[in-house]
Amino acid sequence: MAASDPAGQASPRPQTAPAARGGLKAVLLVVAVLAVLLTFFPLFRVVSLTAKPAAPANAAATAAPAAFDAALAAAKIWQTELPAAHPRAVELSKLAPAIRANADAAKAQLAKAAGFGTAYFFLRGSARVVARERNLLRLAPAGAESEIVALRIGPVFGNTVRDGSGLLDVNSFPGLQEFNALSAELNTLVEKNVLPLLRAKAVVGATIQFVGCAEAPESAADAGEPLLMIVPVHAEVR
Amino acid sequence: MTLRIFIRTLAGACLLALSLASFAHAVAAAETKPAAGRRVAVVVSTLNNPWFVVLAETARDRARELGYEATIFDSQNDPAKESQHFDNLISSGYRAVLFNCTDAKGSVANVRRAKAAGVPVFCMDREIEANDAATSQILSDNYSGCVALGQYFVEQIGETGKYIELLGLVADTNTWNRSKGFHSVVDRFPGLKMVAQQSADFDRSKALEVLEALLQRNPDIDAVFCGNDAMAMGAYQALLAAGKAGRVKVFGFDGADDAVKAVAEGKIAATVMQFPKTMARSAAENADKYIKGERKFPQRTPVAVELVTKANVKKFGDYGRK
Repeated sequence: MAASDPAGQASPRPQTAPAARGGLKAVLLVVAVLAVLLTFFPLFRVVSLTAKPAAPANAAATAAPAAFDAALAAAKIWQTELPAAHPRAVELSKLAPAIRANADAAKAQLAKAAGFGTAYFFLRGSARVVARERNLLRLAPAGAESEIVALRIGPVFGNTVRDGSGLLDVNSFPGLQEFNALSAELNTLVEKNVLPLLRAKAVVGATIQFVGCAEAPESAADAGEPLLMIVPVHAEVR
Repeated sequence: MTLRIFIRTLAGACLLALSLASFAHAVAAAETKPAAGRRVAVVVSTLNNPWFVVLAETARDRARELGYEATIFDSQNDPAKESQHFDNLISSGYRAVLFNCTDAKGSVANVRRAKAAGVPVFCMDREIEANDAATSQILSDNYSGCVALGQYFVEQIGETGKYIELLGLVADTNTWNRSKGFHSVVDRFPGLKMVAQQSADFDRSKALEVLEALLQRNPDIDAVFCGNDAMAMGAYQALLAAGKAGRVKVFGFDGADDAVKAVAEGKIAATVMQFPKTMARSAAENADKYIKGERKFPQRTPVAVELVTKANVKKFGDYGRK
């Protein structure tokens, strides 16, 4: 006050009004700057303690999950998807020497595996029955007669058929239990539709044309031992 | 004059507030930036089983190698404790969760809560029953492992005999994937009779108690199939105490070090090697990729398992292949 009015008298209004207006502008400017700053850099944030429902990843996820029918899914794969994939199966006459030469390279080039899962070959070929055991046939493949492969004719277990064709992705199914149930159903279809013919007609000396799946071996078997254990998904006996 | 003083005071207050705001923001940023960016939680179902200790410690160590502060939270097989861990880690600004759940269904809510708060969850070993909650799930192929174990079981026991099954936690899908894989083989042989099936919660002490009681009613069994190695070791102790070790064959699952050693010594007939270190490292690496911006992860990634018998046991040890 003393600095602004050395005479110690009240200043006339007309002199103070412009200063007040200037001050008001400065205040408004500071408030505006503060408002902008606090909008972008708030001192604190209010967060609800109640979690919001997670946004669905896709439309399929929002739909109520229908009960998975493993038998129905297996029948569809068996009737349409699997036969359509037969031409893509690798020829046994090429696969057998490739495994004998370098099992790791054959696995890397010709087998399929999901994630860090087991690798499988999807293969086809023609072979002559050289021996018959309770649950398998020993075959000499056409074009690789020095090798022996085994064709399963007993009960079928595991995921060889499901994973062998490389057609199915676990992430297209509700969960692992459903995906495993699909395996059991596909195995049942092999036992119902493929194995009876082989059990009835695949005598020693007969020629079999087949499409099947087999786990990729870690190394080539000793000579005389089956190079692959094949689960057939299609077979004809001549 | 009064107005001028008021204006100056107000301007000064605003400047002070502005300075305080900037300072507070800078302090907050300094405090939260490392926390938000560098902290990863490892939430594990239990540390009362060496297999899960390996899983959790490998996940923690891989996260640390990747430059994060990593902390292990032990749920002690208690869904309520697991839920508390999620509350804490969400409010504490953890950037990701490497998760081994206690309950396939019950744990989904925790994962969803974390996701809603912007904290991605990467499941290890144990599945949660939802496809849209976790960022990824890295899981052993338990079913295939128990198919192989079931086939070996039939080779060892033959096509006739009596056996007991000790199940793991009934709320865990691993329990059922293992049991179903085993039964998909063994049930094809009508001469193999399961005389009792009971849960021992994947716990060694419980398996000992449960089998001791079951042996009173079923003294003439040929085998015990256990859903994990901890239970297999407990079952072996019960058989040893009953004077039946060796005559009754025990089958486990996990590939725990003590069980692999027991397979080599002929105490346990077989186990199945899971690869906890592979799963834990992959989960930590996925979390790192997510934090760095990657968003495309397969929901489920299966990890192959391997049958361990006396014939191939030399290849295995330290929770994996030698």
